[in-house]
Amino acid sequence: MLAEKYAERIQKIFSKYPDKRSAVMPLLYVAQEEFGWVSPEAIEEVAVLCEIDPTQVKSIAGFYTMYSEKPKGKYWLQVCTDFPCALRGADQFHQALLDHLGIEEGGTTEDGLFTVEHVMCLAACDKAPMLQCNFHYVENLDMDKMKALLDQWRADAKDSAAD
Amino acid sequence: MVTIYIDGVGYEVPAGTNLVDVAKFYADNDIPVFCYHPKMAPVGMCRMCLVEMGSVEKDKESGTVLLDEQGSPKIRWMPKMQTACTQTVYDGLAIRTNTQQVTEAREDIVEFLLTSHPLDCPICDKGGECPLQNLTMRHGPGVSVFYFEDKMHLAKHVPLGELIYLDRERCIQCARCIRFSDELAGDDVLAFHERGRALQIVTVSDPPFDSKFSGNTTDICPVGALTTADFRFGARPWELKEVPSIDPYGPEGANISLSTRLDRDSGGGIIIKRVMPRQNEHVNEIWISDKTRFGHHHTRHIDRLVTPLHREKNTLIETTWDKAFKQIIDKLKGATSVGAIAGPGLSNEDLWELRQLVLAVGGSEKSLGIWPATMSGGEVVKQVGIAKGSNFNTMGKGTVIVLVATDLEEEAPIWWLRAKAARDRGATVVVLNGRPTKMDRYAKFSLRHEYGDAVGAINSLTAHIVNGNHHKADRAEGFAELQKALKKVKADDRYAAAAEAIAGADNVVVFCGAEGVTLAQHAELMQACANVLILTGHVGRTNNGLIPVWPGANTQGAIDLGYTAEATAELLQNPPAVLIVAGCNPVGEDIAAANLRNADFVIVTSQFDTATTAIADVVLPQQSFAEREGTFTSGERRVQRFYAAQGVIGESFPDWKIFAQVRHAIDKSTAKVSAGAVMAEITKSVAAYSAMGYKNLAQVERQFPDVGGTDQYYGGTAYQNTGGIGVQWPVSAENAEAKLNVVPVSSEKSKAKGLLVVPTTLLYDRGMLFVRSEIMSLRIPPAHANFSPADAQKLKLQDGDMVEINLEGASLTVQIIVNETIPAGVITLPKCLSDQPGPFAPMVAGSIEKVAQALAATGD
Repeated sequence: MLAEKYAERIQKIFSKYPDKRSAVMPLLYVAQEEFGWVSPEAIEEVAVLCEIDPTQVKSIAGFYTMYSEKPKGKYWLQVCTDFPCALRGADQFHQALLDHLGIEEGGTTEDGLFTVEHVMCLAACDKAPMLQCNFHYVENLDMDKMKALLDQWRADAKDSAAD
Repeated sequence: MVTIYIDGVGYEVPAGTNLVDVAKFYADNDIPVFCYHPKMAPVGMCRMCLVEMGSVEKDKESGTVLLDEQGSPKIRWMPKMQTACTQTVYDGLAIRTNTQQVTEAREDIVEFLLTSHPLDCPICDKGGECPLQNLTMRHGPGVSVFYFEDKMHLAKHVPLGELIYLDRERCIQCARCIRFSDELAGDDVLAFHERGRALQIVTVSDPPFDSKFSGNTTDICPVGALTTADFRFGARPWELKEVPSIDPYGPEGANISLSTRLDRDSGGGIIIKRVMPRQNEHVNEIWISDKTRFGHHHTRHIDRLVTPLHREKNTLIETTWDKAFKQIIDKLKGATSVGAIAGPGLSNEDLWELRQLVLAVGGSEKSLGIWPATMSGGEVVKQVGIAKGSNFNTMGKGTVIVLVATDLEEEAPIWWLRAKAARDRGATVVVLNGRPTKMDRYAKFSLRHEYGDAVGAINSLTAHIVNGNHHKADRAEGFAELQKALKKVKADDRYAAAAEAIAGADNVVVFCGAEGVTLAQHAELMQACANVLILTGHVGRTNNGLIPVWPGANTQGAIDLGYTAEATAELLQNPPAVLIVAGCNPVGEDIAAANLRNADFVIVTSQFDTATTAIADVVLPQQSFAEREGTFTSGERRVQRFYAAQGVIGESFPDWKIFAQVRHAIDKSTAKVSAGAVMAEITKSVAAYSAMGYKNLAQVERQFPDVGGTDQYYGGTAYQNTGGIGVQWPVSAENAEAKLNVVPVSSEKSKAKGLLVVPTTLLYDRGMLFVRSEIMSLRIPPAHANFSPADAQKLKLQDGDMVEINLEGASLTVQIIVNETIPAGVITLPKCLSDQPGPFAPMVAGSIEKVAQALAATGD
């Protein structure tokens, strides 16, 4: 499926490397973008594309934390709670966000929109509390700002679903 | 040799070897290790082998070693400890292993590994032969600063496929299993998943842990994390008696150890609880295939024949040995013609006594056949077989390994493993076959020829060698004639580079199989291979020569004792009046054997009821390899002993004893009372076996690297070789004066039109012995045939369809697999997968009819 849908993009990725197996990481990102997570089927497909055993692909997906082997919400919110952020109230912010969405750490909202988890340093200590949403930074947060953002994302999701 | 200093003492050791191996072998200094294994590249992950390391100071001008006041060499020590396993020895290397710093480091690593290791040694299969247990006893701190309650609890029964189980709690993350599968077996099917404390070993291949060598990971696992489904919770290692034995399936002669004990499963008798590799650096190092490891269940299978049977009113019924013998003796005495077909698992002793019996009742060598009868060329092996003392361990750069007409991993997995390791050390691999096999991944030259034209392909190589003037004809008898014949050979350009590589190599080893080759062609093919080896001077020297990929564990022994495949072919054509079939099932396996029904009187020795016992007049229960003594001769012509391990099943007897008794009754010869006595007679009668007395064969030597020591750092109590490393017999090429025959060969390509059915060999088949190991049943594929996409399209067939393939005199129903590696015009048909006999020689298919549609279109 990926091979047909993203033929051009995959070709471009392959062209950057001397052999096919080197392309496994960018291809995993393509798969994750497409499905929202790295599913066993996606692993199988990337393995076929790279001509390696699926076990090797799974190993890579497991080692790197930016690949998710569990289904995630449409918006994957990773809150940094490392030491400097914690000093600026990241822990409280993280907890408040979980309470607001009514989920546990690492959980996903029932509508399938939001997954929240805490992560180690994202190197934006000066702008804490902060989080990354689908790998894009959102900084200098408090719950008021956050609620507004959540509303906006909900609206965006509705729009894209209507399209 | 270089000088190294261990704890102040100097040792002379071979340059370029690993420090841990050398310290153990030459200085009896056991540097503890967990992740390091002498058969794999070091990774320095576990840090258990930390030692103080330095170099002796030398005078800059003269290069002499500087001495301190006490007269010992001055040593410049490194500020921090280093991992010994990642160090190759060099002249002047010095280490200290007995200082406080080293002792504390070892204590710390053990303590660290034990922080989360479960204390379930009392129920752990590894307990008693566990490197972690042993090293904890020797180097552990005895107490821990960590809280016991803090241990992590993880899944304990994670199946990595149906053969191997993972206990996540016990894993210490050394990656030996992963490195073995990846580096040595070439199967990238194990890997680490996640990291840190969440790290675990996973496989998602299909089938899971898809490797023919998976069992070896349980041997090298330094803890009880990997265990086999076969032995799990089966016995404790200290209850087991290790009995040295030899793999009964393959031509490699893998040394194994049968771990036996008195067991309630056998009503208190001795049975095999597991099969472990036994170290023999000349043969299998410390590896065995899963077929060898898990294929032992036939030895005590419920279906084993326990009494003699004879035919009465067209059915086989139980009888006594006395009555059976009487019938046999009467028939043999009056027989107009006698013939014998000997199975692949008969020992040399069995073969000798069978031969003596046949000769005593009027038979000749022409009536001694081997089974399976697919390969020829015993005379060629006598001349140019791989030279005595050759060892794949010492092959690397400068060696060319040629595979001819064989799928080596399926036919002889241990040779495959060792040839691949040689390739990883720099050897060049040349593959000649009609289709790609797993070895093609590692080959520098993958040469495809038309099935049926293997001889032509080798002739092309020879022509290139001679035309390019790369040949040395000084030892070649008959070169002028060969040269004349080669003028007519059109040398295929694709073979030029490979021919040059072979001619220019220091050493050349040729593996010759019989895939896609008829018996008549095979004699020519072996000679063609010999021509190449002789003309390039790659004979008679260590690491040079021909290895036939024989179909059985003792085919070489049978050939040495006068049996031939040609005789079998003759017996199948014209069955004798009295036929003896010993330990094989021709009727059930090969459509060409149907004619055996026409023999007047058929005597079969067997462990099981088969299609062949069904045509027998007398069936005698035969002992398996585990119940008796004997010797097998490997494809490298190494004669090796196996010993009696388990209790006798029923009233079965070893074949040699049966035949000796019968002969005694006929010609009043003295019946030998032991296998050793039979071998003593062979040593006197067969020149090549003059040194093969049981005492010689039982000789052992200390092996490097030392894997089987009492310290058990490398796991397992079974590695140590106490049964003998065997003796090879020399080939005539090793005598530098001997002239060697080169003979022009030509293959008549079959002119018949149609799809060519090529029988192939799979490691896991439904052979009468292997199929009894039910643990392997999921790994044996259903009866199938591989079609090329072009032919499938032409015949309007789909992947998964059932077809009936009609051959001369037989038809077979199989599922088809559309496989793009198969050349158009060819169907490959694996042997021995169905209850119906199939072809053993390539032949043209009469017709192909679809009998059922594929249930669901499958992928690929």
